[in-house]
Amino acid sequence: MRVELENIHKHYGSVRANDGVDLSVQGGEIHGILGENGAGKSTLMKVLSGYIRKTAGTITVDGRQVEFRSPGKASECGIGMLYQDPLDFLNLSVLDNFMLGQVSGLKNEREYYRRKLLPLSTHFNFNLDPNSPVSRLTIGERQQLEILRLLSIGIKVLILDEPTTGISEIQKQTLFAALKQLAREGKSVLLISHKLEDTQVLCNRVTVLRRGKVTGHMEAPFDTRQLLDQMFDQLPTPPSRLKASPGDTILSMSDVVSTGGRTGLQKCNILVRKGEVVGLAGLEGSGQGVFLRVASGMSRPKSGIVEVDGRSMIGKSHREFKDAGVTFVPTSRLEEGLVPGLDITEHFALNARKTRFFVRWSNALSAAKEKIEMFRISGRPRSPVQSLSGGNQQRLLLSFLPEAPRLLLLENPTRGLDVESAHWVWRHLQTYTARNTSIVFSSAELDEIVMVADRILVFFDGKIVKDVRAEDTDSRELGRAIAGEI
Amino acid sequence: MTMAQITSPGPAQLLKFVREFGLTLTVVVLFTTLVLLIAGAPPLDAYFYILKGSLGSWVKISHVLKTWVPLTLCGAGLLYTFRIGLWNIGIEGQVMMGAVFATLTLRLGLNSQWPMWFLGLSFAAAALGGGLWALIAGFLKTKGGVNEIFAGLGMNFVAQGLILWLIFGPWKRPGVASMSGTEIFPQSLWLPYISSLRLSPAAIALAVTAVLITAVMLRYSRIGLCLKAIGGNSQACVLYGLTPTHFMLLAMMFAGGFAGIAGCLQVSGVYHRLLPAISSNYGYLALLVVMLSNYNVWVVPFVAFFFACLNVGSIQLPMMLQLDSSLAGVIQGALVLATLAVSAWRGRRAKIFEAQTQEAVAK
Amino acid sequence: MQKNLKQALIAICVAACIVAFATGVASAAKEQFKFGLLLVGPYNDHGWSQAHYEAGHYVEKNVSGTQMIYIDKVNPADRPGVTIPQLVDDLVEKGAKLIIANSDDMKDGTREAAAMHPDVKFLHISGDDVLTGKSGKNLTNLMGRMEYGKMMAGFAAAMTTKTGKIGYLGPLVNEETRRLAASCYLGARYAWEKVLKKDVKDLKFQVTWIGFWFNIPGVTADPTQVAQNFYDTGYDVVISGIDTTEAVVVAGQKRNEGKKVWAVPYDYVGACDGASAVCLGVPYFNWGPSYTELIKEAMGGSWSPKWLWYGPDWKNINDPDTSTIGFVYGAALGDDAKSALNTFIADLGTGKLNLFKGPLSYQDGTEFLKTGVSATDKQIWYMEQLLKGMDGQSSAK
Repeated sequence: MRVELENIHKHYGSVRANDGVDLSVQGGEIHGILGENGAGKSTLMKVLSGYIRKTAGTITVDGRQVEFRSPGKASECGIGMLYQDPLDFLNLSVLDNFMLGQVSGLKNEREYYRRKLLPLSTHFNFNLDPNSPVSRLTIGERQQLEILRLLSIGIKVLILDEPTTGISEIQKQTLFAALKQLAREGKSVLLISHKLEDTQVLCNRVTVLRRGKVTGHMEAPFDTRQLLDQMFDQLPTPPSRLKASPGDTILSMSDVVSTGGRTGLQKCNILVRKGEVVGLAGLEGSGQGVFLRVASGMSRPKSGIVEVDGRSMIGKSHREFKDAGVTFVPTSRLEEGLVPGLDITEHFALNARKTRFFVRWSNALSAAKEKIEMFRISGRPRSPVQSLSGGNQQRLLLSFLPEAPRLLLLENPTRGLDVESAHWVWRHLQTYTARNTSIVFSSAELDEIVMVADRILVFFDGKIVKDVRAEDTDSRELGRAIAGEI
Repeated sequence: MTMAQITSPGPAQLLKFVREFGLTLTVVVLFTTLVLLIAGAPPLDAYFYILKGSLGSWVKISHVLKTWVPLTLCGAGLLYTFRIGLWNIGIEGQVMMGAVFATLTLRLGLNSQWPMWFLGLSFAAAALGGGLWALIAGFLKTKGGVNEIFAGLGMNFVAQGLILWLIFGPWKRPGVASMSGTEIFPQSLWLPYISSLRLSPAAIALAVTAVLITAVMLRYSRIGLCLKAIGGNSQACVLYGLTPTHFMLLAMMFAGGFAGIAGCLQVSGVYHRLLPAISSNYGYLALLVVMLSNYNVWVVPFVAFFFACLNVGSIQLPMMLQLDSSLAGVIQGALVLATLAVSAWRGRRAKIFEAQTQEAVAK
Repeated sequence: MQKNLKQALIAICVAACIVAFATGVASAAKEQFKFGLLLVGPYNDHGWSQAHYEAGHYVEKNVSGTQMIYIDKVNPADRPGVTIPQLVDDLVEKGAKLIIANSDDMKDGTREAAAMHPDVKFLHISGDDVLTGKSGKNLTNLMGRMEYGKMMAGFAAAMTTKTGKIGYLGPLVNEETRRLAASCYLGARYAWEKVLKKDVKDLKFQVTWIGFWFNIPGVTADPTQVAQNFYDTGYDVVISGIDTTEAVVVAGQKRNEGKKVWAVPYDYVGACDGASAVCLGVPYFNWGPSYTELIKEAMGGSWSPKWLWYGPDWKNINDPDTSTIGFVYGAALGDDAKSALNTFIADLGTGKLNLFKGPLSYQDGTEFLKTGVSATDKQIWYMEQLLKGMDGQSSAK
């Protein structure tokens, strides 16, 4: 089966997730779709699988133009997608999930499907117990089940979205073997990935996307350098970072292991010194968020030692971290940082001294007025925070920062901000480093990190795979590390 | 939760409230009229009798107030739990436990020289009893991860069982085994009342005080602010150095305490004994009162008064129109449904409104 | 035009007539003697409350110028938050001069209301506040000597049972219910020993209390289940002591399943209706005559607080105008039993037979009446325990 996508557009308002993408897939081919976060890989594949409707463009299957209004329509044409989080029913059994979408429901066909499932499962060397509830399966096994289900409803083009995230090495090998087997049988596999190593092992061809556009096609074997160039923007080099001389250790972690996020945090050893600005690079969800939360006491590690100023902070609450001078500003402002329903003044009242029984509303109001002025927040003291724009919400969060924190932990501090706001944020943050505050921040923008950080840590799959001084590296080296190529 | 997202009431909001309340009432009136017509009763007469039966004389108004007091007390208590985003269904059981603790205290004062002391003490005991009962549900929620609705319902059944056991067992009337209640207390242990009006000034004062305290607590105290903040976003509140579970327990204790006092009034001011139906469903009714009041402390007393009127006035239907007495419950049932329907409508409108504003902001 | 005018005139005349008639009725209503009736259960319960409700109608029919205002289901489970004083306030406001409260459960509330309305007369059914001196001058207690009716019920049951096991579906435990259950037993024992000449040891008489006068789901034991349990464990006759008709209903169901069982309902003359296959008869209250007497007293101004305990009119216990207690034979009662019961009633009426006569012992063996001694009214009214030979709780555990 041959699938062609021509000039695919998907626009969300003014954002162009896909901006004229062309792609063709042959039968028997494993085709990688590469690109960094937000490049438009998932959008393109969701368009192809009928999950979202394209804004413009044509899809042809075996030369026949098709229009997918729903995932069902796409699977009728033989196209099916395995989502990052398998869409199965946790409290049903493996067999029940397998039967879903296949049975008419009129007669009991369990035995028929049991006889169908077992040989299919052994064919791919999967080991699934039909009677086991799906809730007891690992992510990898749930993937296997979903693949079998898709195949049994006649899928000829199988799309997988980051299938190797969160599964074990053995399961990965099994999966890869199965995918190769499928290709040998003439089916097509489309693999969304940001991991170069996976594509190298598996794919015959790759298409690279950047900012919604195709930046390159390549046949195996791949030239890694060229791929990286196609994946990442050419990074500007003017480093305007502050040259601070690092002082004593403020934060130290040794052998810290923690769960959370997609990857958790594995064996983290790190020192942060006074006045240092540390940038956390890596694809989203590679462990940066977990790191920041452990460092701020928002979540507790499974094992290892966390010290602030040489004092062990194991078992301490966020409040005690705060008292020790550690301040955390999370990325999802309305989910973790601000309280929807409360207005600006109420937030300042919440931040005020906690010992009084009555709230000093007049103090809170004047604080609100002062900070609105100082941080140029476009809002009134009585504006509910959810009515503020993202940039103003971020300014508000920054206005809560104490005068002289010892350590600032910032998660994606400029996400969603326009360039002007982002610059304002950094100019403001740099006033803190002048006061000897250490800053640790994560960002999805490599150029931002290179621009402001003294030191860069690269996260990959929950591990710190690179720890370098900013002047000793360049964006290409960082890009390789981000993709797991060290 | 939308309930915590209510800012202080301005004139526009008051107007909105009046509009929604009017809408609810219209739905209720239409539905009830339909039912009355089906039952072959004249609807206008029915409404007239309810009105006359609740506000027709001072004595009737005082009976309405007697119902209003526990409803308002429970309503005030529920404002704390709703503010932090908890559904304290267990309020009914908290009223019962208040009644049990009050009865216990009054029994100790049976042969005392200073009955007034025990009467006063019974309020403190009742608040404690209701508060502790609520605290158990709170611990089940914060420590055990049991949804407070299920915990509360369970605790209600346990409280009812305890009352039945007490009435049929340790606190039975001498020689009698009856579900009709414990021995009536001597008049010295009754809450003092104005006999011409059957009205206890102390009870009214308690309800008014409860509303005022709640208003001040929610508006001006740090606790009130924290409850609102945690109700709005408990995750973010950790960043502000708050411990959400502590405040949840605190809110439960406030609710339970007020409910307990309501239970105490049922014992010392209304029935003068403990009986199985001592809570008179006021807890459940108060949930509706607070929802219908849009969680606004200043509106609660008025809606509670309206519900009390309905409760007292509807007795006229079987008396004057020989309507099968179960029909009297239809209006309350309709109110429940209409309240839910209107609040669902309000939620949907709020969402549409939010989406529109967000779009406008995006533009 | 002229035609229209004519029609208009006619319409006005008709309207005027209606108004005149209506005001006439209204003014007539003003002179009426209104009495309020508080019923603990539903007015149509085929039991205790319906007997009172119909007595109210009897008064309206037989005493001119009287009007009843009633309210039923007066209990905290059915009407949460509603109190007796509150209802009395309302009835008095509507013009009621006399209030009848029909339940033992209303004892405290009635006394409270009576104290608040000294000008209104109160009739509390089944109470003893006049005896104990707790009440004021405006309260009278009235009760029927159902002991006789219950003896007949017990007699009929013992004459019919094949297994020798009689179940008594009791309400709550107090003096009234104890003496009624005991009366049943006395009637049953008499029939067993003296008529059937059987050994008293072979007669089993079990009392099971549900906790209130009728079923309150979740609060009382379910009388339907209690009755079913009786029939399923070999009791073939169940005598009801509660306000409602579960015993006879369950008996009917069991009969349809092919079991030879019977039941004796209680309270209301029509309680056997529709259950002729299983109903042995019903001891009932006929409150009409005593209501009439007391309301006439109240109207005539000769009211005084009394404690009244009216029995059957032995000339004809089923005379609706004279007898307070009656017993209607049920269709399921056999002919032998019927004639024996006729004799039994006649003997009770002449005084030849007095079942409350020593030697009688309480359940725990203590002496109730010495040999040859007849019980006084007070001794019967205030019985402390069930009698020896009966199974079941004498008081709350």
